[in-house]
Amino acid sequence: MEAKVYKDDRQTVLVCCGTGCTANGGREVFRAFQKRLENHPEMEVLPVIKATGCNGWCEKGPLVRLMPRDITYCSVAEKDVDEIVDKTLLEGVLIKRLLYRDPVSKDHLASHHLTDFYRKQHKIALRNIGEIDPGQINDYIEREGYQALKKALQDMDGQAVIDAVKTAGLRGRGGGGFPTGSKWQSCRDAKGEPKYIICNGDEGDPGAFMDRSIMEGDPHTVIEGMILGAYAVGATHGYIYVRDEYDLAVQYLGQAVKDARQQGYLGSNIMGSELSFDIELVRGGGAFVCGEETALMASIEGRTGEPRDKYVYPTEKGLWGKPTIINNVETWANVPVIILHGAEAFAAIGTEKSKGTKVFSLVGKVVNTGLVEVPMGTTLREIIYEIGGGVLKKRRFKAVQTGGPSGGCIPASLLDLPIDFDSLTEAGSMMGSGGLIVMDDHTCMVEVARYYVNFLAGESCGKCTPCREGIRAMLEILTDICNGKGKLEDLQLLEDISATMQEASLCALGRTAPNPVLSTLRYFRDEYIEHIENRFCPAGICRELTTFYIDPEKCTGCTLCMKSCAVNAITGEKKQVHVIDESSCIRCGECYRTCNFDAIKLARRDRHEN
Amino acid sequence: MGECPLLEAIFVQIDINEYERENEYRKLIENYEGKAEHLLAIMQDVQKQYNYLPRLAIQLISDYVGTPVSRVYAMASFYKAFSLVPKGRYVFRVCDGTACHIKNSETLLDRLYQQLGIKAGETTADGMYSVETVNCLGACALAPVMVVNGKVHGKVSPGEVERIVKEYGGQNHGS
Amino acid sequence: MKIKLNGQEREAQKGESILELCRRENVTIPTFCYHQAFGGQGACRMCMVEVIEKGRKESRLVAACTYPLNSPVEIITESPRIQRMRRTLVMLLARRADRHPLLKEMAESYDAPHLGAIETKPADCILCGLCIHACEEMGRSAIWSMFRGIDKRIATPYDEAADDCMGCAACARVCPTQAIKVEEAGSERKIWNKTFELIACQRCGKRYATREEIEYLQERSGYQQEHLCESCRKKTLAINMKNYLQ
Repeated sequence: MEAKVYKDDRQTVLVCCGTGCTANGGREVFRAFQKRLENHPEMEVLPVIKATGCNGWCEKGPLVRLMPRDITYCSVAEKDVDEIVDKTLLEGVLIKRLLYRDPVSKDHLASHHLTDFYRKQHKIALRNIGEIDPGQINDYIEREGYQALKKALQDMDGQAVIDAVKTAGLRGRGGGGFPTGSKWQSCRDAKGEPKYIICNGDEGDPGAFMDRSIMEGDPHTVIEGMILGAYAVGATHGYIYVRDEYDLAVQYLGQAVKDARQQGYLGSNIMGSELSFDIELVRGGGAFVCGEETALMASIEGRTGEPRDKYVYPTEKGLWGKPTIINNVETWANVPVIILHGAEAFAAIGTEKSKGTKVFSLVGKVVNTGLVEVPMGTTLREIIYEIGGGVLKKRRFKAVQTGGPSGGCIPASLLDLPIDFDSLTEAGSMMGSGGLIVMDDHTCMVEVARYYVNFLAGESCGKCTPCREGIRAMLEILTDICNGKGKLEDLQLLEDISATMQEASLCALGRTAPNPVLSTLRYFRDEYIEHIENRFCPAGICRELTTFYIDPEKCTGCTLCMKSCAVNAITGEKKQVHVIDESSCIRCGECYRTCNFDAIKLARRDRHEN
Repeated sequence: MGECPLLEAIFVQIDINEYERENEYRKLIENYEGKAEHLLAIMQDVQKQYNYLPRLAIQLISDYVGTPVSRVYAMASFYKAFSLVPKGRYVFRVCDGTACHIKNSETLLDRLYQQLGIKAGETTADGMYSVETVNCLGACALAPVMVVNGKVHGKVSPGEVERIVKEYGGQNHGS
Repeated sequence: MKIKLNGQEREAQKGESILELCRRENVTIPTFCYHQAFGGQGACRMCMVEVIEKGRKESRLVAACTYPLNSPVEIITESPRIQRMRRTLVMLLARRADRHPLLKEMAESYDAPHLGAIETKPADCILCGLCIHACEEMGRSAIWSMFRGIDKRIATPYDEAADDCMGCAACARVCPTQAIKVEEAGSERKIWNKTFELIACQRCGKRYATREEIEYLQERSGYQQEHLCESCRKKTLAINMKNYLQ
């Protein structure tokens, strides 16, 4: 797919203005370029400046890319703009200090395409992000935008579109992994009018921001996907349900829908065909459970987001009792590519049962945090070490959490697991929406389980007994364990309650809520035992069980820990051994994590105090 | 992409006699058809304008849409986007998404408590500051993240909290 | 439509729930949140049973109150798995309804472990939701389930006297653990933080309904009625019938 937005004879400056880069000053950089290049006497043809969506390489932002030479500058500040214009745009000279430096070869790399972070990626859902201005429909059109729709309307009928999606083997990217083609077929075959298409943009997994980037950076791919879906099943109305916290996404989707309507891609008789379809945007109310499809529909209908039993699927009776398909943002983003470039090409990527690519958000204690899109079947090791650059500060890898609050922790022994829907489920986790949270030896796995259960305690809708009361009981138990009040019998109780939650809960939130607990029990049981029997937290996280002291033999007196202390509990002169005053210490562990000389040690709190 | 910063909450002084605002509420509410499917959108508009959902507004919404007050209130209490009591003029939102959590967002809350004297979920007595924990904002590469009235602060170290709080005049507010 | 229920062939009506079938066939399935007037809610999850669907070898657990019978299936209502699940559910609910005998007795019969009691508001509420459906059926919807997650509870808006509440106490009558308090003294009834005047029966003088209830009835039915309590109303009707037939 080489259609360019930037013409070869005209320079283009692409400034990343995704949420991450914006927080780091990306917008100021963009405005500085605009100002500087408004009117430049030395340039015959003024460069085009575009603010794009998230490139995915958030660690190195704000990113500025110069085309057609394909130069990538990292961590660009407002004050660098003049130099970039003068040296690179005008004279064609590279500014070394702004280039990415490969940590192994020590080479400066001119383009991000040459970096480990990007080389191994294969962009389908993210194909346009970072290349286009998401507020300009023409940018999308220049990169094969709406060509899939044209092809479908001219050469295919609805059933043929479904067949293509089936052959491609596309499975839901939101977490369920349900075969998309089958879902669409059920809806097409169902009786009832009108039929509805819904895009689930209520990305709620903490640590996941794939859908946000797609909605902000390439809204039209979602829209085109939905129109194709409408054509396939015979739907006339569509809704995009966007998480309330995603202001930028709401803005760009709103603009994109307006523009699409204006150019005849939405509305009556789309592109001169018999298809009539339009889309409405709905802002979520701030509820994780509304990512569950029946809760989402209840929310659209103006009710609280309480799910219902799904013995009758939404494809038969969905929104207002009518046949409805709900798919995730990333799923929709893949559809135009499948239709335009063929199902076989898509199915050639990935594993036997998980076709295509998957976007992951790689975050946590990893060097290169950001979004990565890789073929299904890529191993965890490749993603974390080759693409991600390994664990931060070269600390020991402990686990990677996948699937958010519905998923589990995968230990080091399983790093060579190829990522696909089934392999992760067998390991006791799940793909989920694609969050990959890297944890090091300074992460307490019991506390991680408690954190997820605590999250769900506030997000569960509260309607059904096993979920609401099960989560309540599990949270009490895990909190007690983290505070040194745990009993060994608690572990059996956790497993019993988990079993009932998995079997009896009303929806997937409750059914999968035990996963973080069960997976940490499976792979890190010794850590639970340590908390219960020895009342000690090996990671130094559980404050009730930990105290810190400075080893006088290792302390170099660098004062770094003193500066990191929130309550000024550390005293000491430069080059003299420092001391922690235990009575004022709040045991937050900042000093422990800051020290570069391994001079701060953990001790059991109760033993130490006695 | 034109000028499109993250939207800042519009703070409106709350009158003691909110009944004077009845017409203002109506204007917002009646922007939509009186159907249940617009409940969320209507409530969001009111929330954004007034920084909470005034009692009278809830009553008016109930009458207009034809949904019982108890169910409108249920929606207000269910969805985190809504507040039944006014929030502070400046709301410090500390992200408690997993990436931020393992990068010790809790320590930021410690520091905020030191400066403002309030914990997550509380508002200072003078109505100036609120502290909240929020669900993952999707800026995980910048963990830990803190948002103040729409402005995103990334990679916030505990030491920086004081500086940020100072920007809004809140230093040593708690003492 | 033929289905198998605990190994026996039975006739089911298409679209009815497993629970409706079982009730008709006198097969007992424990429930907390089911009421004939409201149908199945799927909230308490006590009614989970095993079904083996067409073309499948393994059974799966479904809620009897909401699962519609649309094709021939095999239903199993008792098994060790189901027993274990009911036991855990009772163990969890018993924490909430610590004082009422219902959960205590059930916990004993299932030999459920005892977990520490938790305070609920109202006390003893197991969040079955029957009260809010009763109120909705009465046409008032003065109460609903508020908040979410572990903080979820039944309440009036702002926990204050609700305009929509007419004090009929249908909610209290339908509550399985008597969690909703109705205080009656003389000519007053207090419920959900609201005080009502009880109107006296014109025949026997018994205080039988609130003023608001009576006014609501008049509004809904469209005609004025004498203030008669239920037994006096029946007596009057019987007398009228007698006079009419003579």
